[in-house]
Amino acid sequence: MSVPGYHRPATVDAAVRLLATAEGARCLAGGATLVAMMNANLAEPQNIVSLAGIAELSGIAEQAGGSLRIGAMTRHRETAGETRLTGTLAVLREAARQIANPVVRNMGTIGGSIAFSDPAADYPPALVAADAEIEIAGAPGRRCVAAVDFFVDWYATALQPGELVTGVLLPVARPGFGIYRKFARVTGDFAIASVALAVARELGGISVRVAIGGCGPKPVRLAEVDAALGRGLGDADAVRDAGERLAAACDPVDDTRATAAYRRLVVPRLLAATLAQAHKSLEGR
Amino acid sequence: MNDLPQAVGAGLRRIDVREKVEGRAQYIADLYRPGMLHGAILGSPHAHARIKSYDIREALAVPGVQCVLTGDEFGDHRMGAFIKDEHAIAKGKVRYVGEPVAAVAAETEAAARLAARLVTVEYEELPAILEPEDALRADAAIIHEELQAYFKVFDAGSHANVCSRTSLVQGDAAAWAACDVVVEGDFTTRPQAHVSLEPCGALAEPEASGRVTVWSANQSVFRVQANVCESLGLPMSQLRCVTPRVGAGFGNKMEAHVQPIVVKLAMASGRPVKLILTREEDFEIVRARHPFKLRAKTGAKRDGTLVAREVEVLLDGGAYADDSPGVLGYSLLMSSGPYRFQYMKAAGTLVYTNKLRFGAFRGFGNPQVSFAGEQQIDEIAGKLGIDPLALREKSMLRAGDRWFGGAKIGSNGLAECIDRVRKASGWKGRGSLKASAPGRKRALGAACTAHISGLLATGAIVRVLEDGSIVLNTGAVDIGQGSDMALSQICAESLKVPVDRVRLASPDTDGSPYNWGTTASRVTYTTGRAVVAAAGEVERQIKAHAAEILECDAIDLELRPGGQVGIVGVPEKAVSFHQISARAHWAKGGPIVGTNSFVYDGPSVDPKRAVGIGVPFPQIGVFAFGALVIDAEVDEATGKVEVLRAWSAVDVGRAINPVSVEGQVEGAFVQGLGLALNEEMVWDGARLVNPSLMDYKVPTSLDVPYEINAIIVEAPEPDGPFGAKGVGEIGINVVPAAIANAIAAASGVRLNHLPLTPERVLRAILGEAG
Amino acid sequence: MSGFLSLAVNGQLKEVRAGLTDTLLTVLRDQLLLTAAKRGCNQGVCGACTVLVDGRPQRACLSLAANCEGAEITTLEGLRANKAVVRLQQAFEATGAVQCGFCTPGLIISAHWLLSQNAKPDADAIRAGLCGNLCRCTGYRKIVDAVTAAAAETAP
Repeated sequence: MSVPGYHRPATVDAAVRLLATAEGARCLAGGATLVAMMNANLAEPQNIVSLAGIAELSGIAEQAGGSLRIGAMTRHRETAGETRLTGTLAVLREAARQIANPVVRNMGTIGGSIAFSDPAADYPPALVAADAEIEIAGAPGRRCVAAVDFFVDWYATALQPGELVTGVLLPVARPGFGIYRKFARVTGDFAIASVALAVARELGGISVRVAIGGCGPKPVRLAEVDAALGRGLGDADAVRDAGERLAAACDPVDDTRATAAYRRLVVPRLLAATLAQAHKSLEGR
Repeated sequence: MNDLPQAVGAGLRRIDVREKVEGRAQYIADLYRPGMLHGAILGSPHAHARIKSYDIREALAVPGVQCVLTGDEFGDHRMGAFIKDEHAIAKGKVRYVGEPVAAVAAETEAAARLAARLVTVEYEELPAILEPEDALRADAAIIHEELQAYFKVFDAGSHANVCSRTSLVQGDAAAWAACDVVVEGDFTTRPQAHVSLEPCGALAEPEASGRVTVWSANQSVFRVQANVCESLGLPMSQLRCVTPRVGAGFGNKMEAHVQPIVVKLAMASGRPVKLILTREEDFEIVRARHPFKLRAKTGAKRDGTLVAREVEVLLDGGAYADDSPGVLGYSLLMSSGPYRFQYMKAAGTLVYTNKLRFGAFRGFGNPQVSFAGEQQIDEIAGKLGIDPLALREKSMLRAGDRWFGGAKIGSNGLAECIDRVRKASGWKGRGSLKASAPGRKRALGAACTAHISGLLATGAIVRVLEDGSIVLNTGAVDIGQGSDMALSQICAESLKVPVDRVRLASPDTDGSPYNWGTTASRVTYTTGRAVVAAAGEVERQIKAHAAEILECDAIDLELRPGGQVGIVGVPEKAVSFHQISARAHWAKGGPIVGTNSFVYDGPSVDPKRAVGIGVPFPQIGVFAFGALVIDAEVDEATGKVEVLRAWSAVDVGRAINPVSVEGQVEGAFVQGLGLALNEEMVWDGARLVNPSLMDYKVPTSLDVPYEINAIIVEAPEPDGPFGAKGVGEIGINVVPAAIANAIAAASGVRLNHLPLTPERVLRAILGEAG
Repeated sequence: MSGFLSLAVNGQLKEVRAGLTDTLLTVLRDQLLLTAAKRGCNQGVCGACTVLVDGRPQRACLSLAANCEGAEITTLEGLRANKAVVRLQQAFEATGAVQCGFCTPGLIISAHWLLSQNAKPDADAIRAGLCGNLCRCTGYRKIVDAVTAAAAETAP
């Protein structure tokens, strides 16, 4: 029993070989993106390499040293419910929780989502704020790329032809919290703009990572903004300055969800609201 | 007499729902016929072009293809509800991107779609008119060159790219001088897509007799029949139109979609053909809500009495007239709102453009004009320092008054509607509403509305079967709103039988009486009236039999619950419907059949009171009324508006099935939320940019408040069935206006452009243009 | 080009033909004539195609048939004897939560799963649980009421 063109390898190496040899081959993860495109005649793969049978790609597991590895085939539902994504890693759980809706979260995977790199998707800014690394496998072998370097351009990543995402590596969770503020037209839509914030509590202060999503070809993050907010998260001037810098660094476009001008207008305001929420958490908790 | 209603007034479980919850309901896409082919359409890539030639050889060569049709295979016949300007498929010319130019029937859907893409069409492009103002320019390309020759059902005043013009004036313009305050403004609204969950589709099958039967997603089997036969040049007796379950309409299934093409494919191939549109095609080639450009001016006295209003509309109708002349005329008629004005003038022009036709959509122009009118009432209230609801009450129309134009208002529950929403919402204390979080502003917003229920022709046949049970045949299509149940309840109540002893025949142009369609909030009122009358005729015949059997006068008889007739005051003297029907079938009189048929005949304009030019419907309907209060919050960081609670009171005359009435009010409210806050079909030049549910967003369960409070008010309509009038549309009319009024109260900004997107709201708050 | 698949649907193994691009929705509807799952958008947005795969709701329109071998697929037709589903169906009927009915099968599947995860959800939890199923007719209020009613009928 088989359908011509459908492959279900059992290992990453077998998948890599198929991607190299099968004509017009595409990886199938959850199907949320690829099958939707096929249904709309936007993708016509002659071969499909299903990743569903590869054990290495599933599950969330602790690594030596206490960091977490999320297998590429981990469904959004699982990521959203993962209690070990705590402290600074909570930003990732919060992002997963707001993807689409409960049904799509049963299907979509973190690997599939980031490999497609829709700039309005929820994982990219959250992974940048979480200082994640993306695990890649290809013919030359395995490699890791920092999230901030993985998202390269509109629907383009650091993946070379024939490569696939095998997992996401997260640093050890640091005490603190994460917020993912998503601003969309309706529930479950892609973001007009989003703010991913990870705040680590340290001796004598905090360390901040903030990334803006939905406002350009890739998540926007500025080291000087992280540093300034680390010094003065509740400081009105620092917040305003951070908003202006991040908005200026964004490169948004007009699309059916919003105009570029509106995105630039609203980014500092969303950031301010997110930082106000963070400030309250720091003061209150 | 049994005073307790058995059926009318009870929220009984609807007869159509069991099959739906079990997944057994058959919609058009679920139907299969032996030997069935699949249809596909090729759409025009151009907005305006002459068709020079076709090459179908490659398409015909695709394995499995049975026939390929182009405009050449269709005669020069046109259809159209008001102006017959539309062929079944593009012929000679294309007038919007996506317009069907070729059609294929093949053994598989994949083969059909592949072949359709392989049809080669040579075009000569013409300048495309994309904005209504451009359509009016003296040097504009003409979209319908034969416009003068088209058959028109009314004095449309068509010329160049003007499809129709309408005006209605009542009173003396000198009344403006009596105004102490006048507000004026320009308003725009954008196109909304119906997004019925079920995409349009049809299945046509040639019968052995030579006739054709067509099933389709529809709101009227009779409009399907008329449109298909007119556009194919067939005698109506050659086509039988029937209906599967329909997955919602809201107006987009009232006139033709692919039925004419599918019937032609069936006739040409000699086999059944099914064609179901993709969601994208459904967006691109069916119809949508009109974008309005309007200028409104409203004036009042210092004490808040409304005095004068003028409304001027420029309506973009898209490439074909469809229901647009009706929408123009109706929106002007409704633009007064439910108020007395000394002077009222409403005028408008409908133009063709090279875009998808705009057509009927719940509200039929009322939401758009109300967006302007109900905001201006609030603006006046604000300037005068008068409570907006109190100001409305001061000038509101009452029962026995005349609507703008002169139609008499039978029943009017508006005063009670306003009272109920004022109380339920805590309106008096609205000044102390607290926002749910810092940076958010919260306020109540109110608006009032009226809508008609009626129009055109309808009938009913009530038959008593041999065993005394009842079959009701009205031809009315239930599109989910609950008409099957409401009509059954009306019939059951009329004859005092349990509802489950009334069965409804499925709409069928062969056997059903003519029913214009499920539109204009009309079925409960017009078809219900016919059912009551037909049932009354059955009652007369039943009593005639009973009088003979019981040896008394018919006048001494009463219907008793459960299908019995007896002598008043003599409980033991009774005879059953079963006995009577058996007598009628086998002994005397003939099987009992009651029929009724009528055309609504209440005139829309009284020439002694108002001057109407180009009014597209000489008769309109009875009036229902509503009042809406919403509780909304503006997030001033982003401009996003969230509605927290709503109270929508609707005077329905009599609620035949209160649960269904609530369902209509709640559903219309949420569709209105989408219209108000984020739904907009967007064109980039001639191309529709967002024809998919990924890009065009309708509200989900998390985008609407749970607390949508439907409040039923009953001011019985004298000639309505048990006093009922329609409710299908009225719940949507003033949702955008009420939200705009709430935003004005919360954030101090007036928004004249729909949808009220976060960007528009934020920019207004920041004091920027746009 | 197509091949053959063996799919476990509603507790039975079914032999079906499928090409590489055929979705589970197409196979269920066109070959197995299980038409409760509907095609509303074919993009995974509307939810009318929602079925259970290995006990969890998924979009049949986004599931490649070829990728579904080995999974347990359950459609609304296969839940006819499931008491919890019957409770939901009766609640939908009684509460007026069904108008045109096109969204109803997918909604009942999602609601069934919601109640299996959360036996007594409040209105907000119900709205969140069902936000992946669009309804254009009801405005959602009576749907929330129906799920609440069905949940109330189970033991506390």
